[in-house]
Amino acid sequence: MKTTINVSRAYGHAVTGEALVMREGFSPRYDLDRLTGVISRIGHSAEGQSLKNKILIIPTSKGGVAAGWAFQDIKEKGFAPAAFVFGKANPVMVQGAILAEIPITDGWSENALDCIASGDIVRVDPAARTIEVLQKAG
Amino acid sequence: MDTGTLELTDEEQQMLRGERGLPLQKAIQYQVEVGSFFGAKRLVPVTNAHFMGDIEVMGDDGLQRLDNLARQGARCAIDTTNNARCMDLDAAEGLGQDPAEIKKEHKVIRVLRDMRVVTTDTCINYQTVYQPKLGEHVAWGDTGTVIYANSVFGARTNFESGFAGMSAALTGRTPAYGFHLDEHRRGSIEVTLETPLEDLADWGAIGKIVGHPHQDYFSVPVFQGVEQMPSSDALKHLGASLASYGSMAMYHIAGITPEAPSLAAAFDGRAPSARITITRDDLDAVYGAYRYVSGGPNLVVFSGPQQSLLEIRALAELFAGRKVAPGMQVFLTTNHAVLADARRLGYADILEGAGVRILQGVCFYLLQRLSRIREENGWTNLVSNSAKIVNTITAHRFNTVLRRTRDCVDIACTGELK
Repeated sequence: MKTTINVSRAYGHAVTGEALVMREGFSPRYDLDRLTGVISRIGHSAEGQSLKNKILIIPTSKGGVAAGWAFQDIKEKGFAPAAFVFGKANPVMVQGAILAEIPITDGWSENALDCIASGDIVRVDPAARTIEVLQKAG
Repeated sequence: MDTGTLELTDEEQQMLRGERGLPLQKAIQYQVEVGSFFGAKRLVPVTNAHFMGDIEVMGDDGLQRLDNLARQGARCAIDTTNNARCMDLDAAEGLGQDPAEIKKEHKVIRVLRDMRVVTTDTCINYQTVYQPKLGEHVAWGDTGTVIYANSVFGARTNFESGFAGMSAALTGRTPAYGFHLDEHRRGSIEVTLETPLEDLADWGAIGKIVGHPHQDYFSVPVFQGVEQMPSSDALKHLGASLASYGSMAMYHIAGITPEAPSLAAAFDGRAPSARITITRDDLDAVYGAYRYVSGGPNLVVFSGPQQSLLEIRALAELFAGRKVAPGMQVFLTTNHAVLADARRLGYADILEGAGVRILQGVCFYLLQRLSRIREENGWTNLVSNSAKIVNTITAHRFNTVLRRTRDCVDIACTGELK
């Protein structure tokens, strides 16, 4: 069965990749070692995981303006994610993703945490405002 | 010419076509893209911008972008200040920060000055530099400055991160979405306080209680039951905490903040999506939830946001005649203007005499190379009266503990982790 989630707002080109699902909010300032691209906050659901080339499924944003620069910075360093799929983004995440030209979406028609698991292959289509699960993780 | 969801004035269209130079074209193109994401219909003129960017967060690419803009003749069209940085240039090498990055940070500052940025290096611009008026549109970075502007002044701004803040500084405008619009400024969560708040840390703690379970930029908590007129520093800690835990950009306090003459006025017909009551037990539970881990040395930090002159005086009174205990290190950060006054008034001497290390122009959690410096020093627990900093610093793998101001000073001077 194909799962499709509609999103409220979207930016960027279509992209297909492997999902990394976070169970809680995210901020590159609070949660990410920006020298390695690995989630470093003790106890974060994705602790120890690299963001590189992943489609990040993130329910909410935490505070902080760091993302405005940080996404472009980690892209330069070679470990940018492929896309951000936020339940609730804040403007900083959007500003940062647009500066780095990384696709970003905001708002979910269904709870993506229930439909998408880490390792699933997912297609993000900003023009169609959809997130599709193409293949469940084995 | 793609203007997305926005309708632009003739002057703005000239900028977009490149007739006002390359920097303005880049800036307004970016504003159109960000504004269109949020469905903005226009740009709104702003009077003041506050720019967030240092070498640690912007990286080489960010510096290159700024340098290109400056070389192409970019100049701020409106008064623009900058946020706290990642280095106190006098202390950077001693702390173990990278010499190559220190050089680049000098360049960041030079480039910003070339672009007419007033390099205040402060995250408390709202206490020390500029206080916008009710209804005034600004473009501020650093979430603590934004929530203070919206809530306490009744000014209007979204979170404007690095390039967004710079774009607003150059064009003198910003996309009109979010907190520039009346509809997003109404309350959405009702919070009833059933306990007096005795310390700045208590104000931060209620920010955590409200913000953490309701992470949503467009949530606006409305507080009632605040019996005593809060100080500017109390509202600063409340806002910084709500912005940090909840990603929130505005709150109201019924009978106190300018857009909340009453509870009903703050909600303006919108039904609360949640109701929260905060008792003394809830407050105690926040402090009770932190655990120390064994190891050391340990830190006590007064930062995030930078300390005001009044906070520094209060700390000087608490530290007077005491010494920081072995195995403890204490850091305090503030801006250049406040530190100059704290020196003149003798507060800085008292604090430094007690062993407190004062850093200027930085916030502790922003420090470049902090994870490695933590490892090199073996720093384990970080105790603070700032609910914000015990949240923001966690990527560096500190074990953080929130305590009231007086307890922080006692912990620093006795070494007893209580």
